[in-house]
Amino acid sequence: MFDQLFDAALLESVVRAMVPILLAALGGMICERAGVFQIAMEGMMLAGAFAAMAGSYLAVSSGLGIVFGVTAGVLISLMLAFGTVSRQGDPIVLGIALNLMALGLTGFLLPQIFGVRGTFRHERIDGLDRLPIPGLSEIPWIGPVLFDQTILGYLAFLLVPAIWLLLFRTPVGLRLRGVGERPLAAESLGVSPTAYKYGAVIASGVLSGLAGTQLALGNLVLFAEGMSAGRGWVAVVAVMLGRAHPFAVFGASLLFAFAEGLGFRLQGNGLPVQITDALPFLVTLIALIAARKRFARLLDLTTGG
Amino acid sequence: MADAQPIQGRGVAARVEAVLSHPVVFSLVFAFALGWVIVYLTGNDPGFAYREMYDGAITGSGLRNTLGRAVPIVGMALAVSVAFRAGVINLGGEGQMVMGGLAGSLVAIYTPGPGEIVIPLAMIVGGLTGALWAMLPAFGQTRLRLPILITSLLLNYVARAVTGYLVRFHFLDDSVTLTSTQQVPQTARMPRLPVFGGVSLSLVLVILAVAVAWVVYRRTVAGYETQMAGFNGRFARYGGIQVERQTVGVMVVAGAIGGVIGTHMIIGDAYRFIDGELVVSGLAWTGLLVALLAANHPPMILVAGLLFSGLQIGGLAMQRNADVSWRLAQVLQALVIVAVASRLAFDLFRRRRRGPTSGELESAGVGEV
Repeated sequence: MFDQLFDAALLESVVRAMVPILLAALGGMICERAGVFQIAMEGMMLAGAFAAMAGSYLAVSSGLGIVFGVTAGVLISLMLAFGTVSRQGDPIVLGIALNLMALGLTGFLLPQIFGVRGTFRHERIDGLDRLPIPGLSEIPWIGPVLFDQTILGYLAFLLVPAIWLLLFRTPVGLRLRGVGERPLAAESLGVSPTAYKYGAVIASGVLSGLAGTQLALGNLVLFAEGMSAGRGWVAVVAVMLGRAHPFAVFGASLLFAFAEGLGFRLQGNGLPVQITDALPFLVTLIALIAARKRFARLLDLTTGG
Repeated sequence: MADAQPIQGRGVAARVEAVLSHPVVFSLVFAFALGWVIVYLTGNDPGFAYREMYDGAITGSGLRNTLGRAVPIVGMALAVSVAFRAGVINLGGEGQMVMGGLAGSLVAIYTPGPGEIVIPLAMIVGGLTGALWAMLPAFGQTRLRLPILITSLLLNYVARAVTGYLVRFHFLDDSVTLTSTQQVPQTARMPRLPVFGGVSLSLVLVILAVAVAWVVYRRTVAGYETQMAGFNGRFARYGGIQVERQTVGVMVVAGAIGGVIGTHMIIGDAYRFIDGELVVSGLAWTGLLVALLAANHPPMILVAGLLFSGLQIGGLAMQRNADVSWRLAQVLQALVIVAVASRLAFDLFRRRRRGPTSGELESAGVGEV
């Protein structure tokens, strides 16, 4: 039984599932560090997936797909930043509304532009190429799992240490964390909380846009309505579980991706899709229960004490 | 936010500005203007599309359908408002509706007997199931300190899977290609009233529920205490309110309403539980936006619910006649809330005046959430 389940192919599907979750979660983590409550990743990811597909279709080039995907994520992030930072609106209300706006807008544009409902596939949509690293990709087991990624796959993994360095070893990171933890103190030292919060939200727009791009041009080469399928929310939980620390967020993303990959595999072994679809969310809930002491801040935010 | 003093001698322009500077009115105008641009950019005639939308919502069978769709939208908005007023961020309306809807419709399908007994029984079982499903995140927050915001939302995906599995493997109707249960027998369907071309009896029930909510919110201790907890949880606890018990209470009520509405959607509307149908319709989320727009105020929920229902029904007519997808309605709804939450109205109108008073600022926010 276990021989059939755990092999290199499973690890491959785990890593594939992980890339979008990790990209989105890293963006959410930067927002969390800057003191912005960010739950719009689901919508940014979905908008990114649609735009990436559209860009790739237009130019028959995944390069333009990436540009479009990032642009869509950034546009929504600007709306979020304007609403929460400049206008001090409720981040939960804005996050939910922006998620629904992205769902409605992609569902609207799909039939209006491409004349189909539900799912759109086309030979003009250029997927992201896999870039095997010569030598390394031939290592048994690890090679095809880690060294045969799309450009966004490599980027996601490299960003984990890079963002750690940025947050904890640079003045910019120090100021960003200062803005999140002690905004008044940061301001009195001449650091503009507005600028840093905008920067953090836009960064998460870029990363969620890339996450969507990976979904529509990397993991699959198509767009389907609602194809983010809760991954943006799983990313929110990954930030919570990882206490907004890059390596811990990486671990949490890996856990959820493992559940998704395993579900995919079990489906191949005859388990109903309805059960395997629920697996990542069940694992997420169990992980939340296991790590339940960690959510005081969010609880304070949503219950007032 | 109505201006207390009548505007004297400043003419029509001042009156228009006074109305437009109301945050909700402004946000509606803003959303429709942006929608205009979106329709134009995607190669259609916005004026024609909006006219079809308007006609489709209120003429012909449109009025009946608008009233019919208002039932689940107003109902789910009411469910959301019960929790939001008390500061409980229940995003699990969809799951509560789907779980209750399946349980209630199974009762309606498989229980023999006259409608007078089966229909109320189905509603009760649907409501109880929704309430039980809502208790999971409620106890998660009060016992395990897991934020309801996250757990209730994640449970939506679990509810989709559970109901999908049950329909597919235990209650499947083999005679149709849909993944669906059997049809609800004629006797167990929600009766229709001979007004507006046959609206469901549920419409009356929902209006009654809105009236009850209004009385409870304004006139009872429970209504007062939940509102206090919503304003300031710490203060409410200091004042002797048992916030934990209250959290479970409002979640049970919200889940029960969701379950009853889910049941109505099957025994009063679709007549069979089709896998995924209640999710795709987005009714629970539309209800949430309605509650936000109405700031949890029951009569305003009715008004806003009818408005959003009309948008969707009119949107379907627009899709038929103007070739513009009804999903534009979803975009407009979300944009209204984005605009309200971002307090856009102030930016354009308040700057030129003396500046807003603090009271105006408060009433414009979505502060009750």
